[in-house]
Amino acid sequence: MRQNWLEWVVLGVSLAAIAGLVGFLVVDGLTDAGRPPKPVITLQTDAAYGVSEGWILPAMATNEGDEAAEALALRATATVDGVEEESEVTIDYLPAGTDVEFSFGFSGRPEGAVTVSIVGFRLP
Amino acid sequence: MVSEAAESRSESVATTVRDLVRATGGGLLVGLPLLFTLEMWAHSFLLPSWKIVVLIGVAFVVVVGYTAVSGFRRERSWIELLIDSVETMGIAAVVATVALLLLGRVGLETGLRDAVGKIALEMIPVAFGVSLAGTQFASPDDDPEDAADQGSTVADGNGAGPFARLFIAAGAALLFALNIAPTEEPMLLGVEAAWWLLLLVIPATLAVTFAVVFYADFRGGRSLESGDGPLDRPLTETLAAYAVSLLVSLLLLWSFGRTDGASWSAIVGQTIMLAVVASFGAAAGRLLIGGGGQQQEAS
Repeated sequence: MRQNWLEWVVLGVSLAAIAGLVGFLVVDGLTDAGRPPKPVITLQTDAAYGVSEGWILPAMATNEGDEAAEALALRATATVDGVEEESEVTIDYLPAGTDVEFSFGFSGRPEGAVTVSIVGFRLP
Repeated sequence: MVSEAAESRSESVATTVRDLVRATGGGLLVGLPLLFTLEMWAHSFLLPSWKIVVLIGVAFVVVVGYTAVSGFRRERSWIELLIDSVETMGIAAVVATVALLLLGRVGLETGLRDAVGKIALEMIPVAFGVSLAGTQFASPDDDPEDAADQGSTVADGNGAGPFARLFIAAGAALLFALNIAPTEEPMLLGVEAAWWLLLLVIPATLAVTFAVVFYADFRGGRSLESGDGPLDRPLTETLAAYAVSLLVSLLLLWSFGRTDGASWSAIVGQTIMLAVVASFGAAAGRLLIGGGGQQQEAS
């Protein structure tokens, strides 16, 4: 039925691709506990840098839940020059298991610790 | 003798390569609009895994159908049809993966579930394109004469029966409406439309599709003469094709989670609005396969 080696390769790759995709999704579906979104924010203080408008603080959001979070709003609070400042960021989508990089901005280099809180998100 | 055999083998590899290129081309032709659609990327992680698996299963059945009706290979056994369909899905998976990588939608920072979901969803329209491009890898008689036949369809010679026409209408409706279904627009249109507007859209859709197939004199269009069966009359066929389009629309809306938590009136509104697109696809599909004996003989 197969006429040449290339057709065998196509069939082999096709079977592997379909088995891989469907297999992964089935296993994922069976092990999915349906946990709600659990955003975890990591501040990358070492990578922070100054710009003429102030201070940029890169951060990374991951989702340790099973469901995606939509329109995730985050607020970082820090003290700059003795005054408390807030920086807000909204992430359109935070899928389960995916890293999203973003940055908070302040008017200057924060003194002491920066605290992050979750303002809210939508469920898809 | 030996060199002759080797020569025919390398020729058959060249044919396979050409088939693969044609498959890729057809897959991209149908798949590219949805590869460039934001909602498709988002649905990869918004939809639960089981639903994506169900959609792939439905897509596979449709691909088997497309492959069967676009089958220029008349002497094809069931097992060959299945193998061709598996290859169609496999090629689509590879094409979708490469396209998503090149478009930067899948990369190292993408979660595995997200990436698999994107590939699995985007491979569906690509697979429809691949199957329509008429790949024929396992052809037992893959000779130049056969290659010359490749543009032909099920309607060859004796025309398609009413049920085959409806099946093709469903396939074409799915193909056309799939480009619109994942977007937000059908939802907005359906939810915002007043009841009387929806009541106007239904006869308008029916009138346009009726006219396009039976009156506008497109190539493949048909006269107003009735056939013998109940579905062989222009009016009943138009109604049946519309019913099929409504069903396809509802299936698509369900697939993309547009029916989740929606009220009945919202579901009805969305279905009617998406069916405008679906039924136009169904009409185009019926035009493509032509009318029947007379038309085919005349051309």
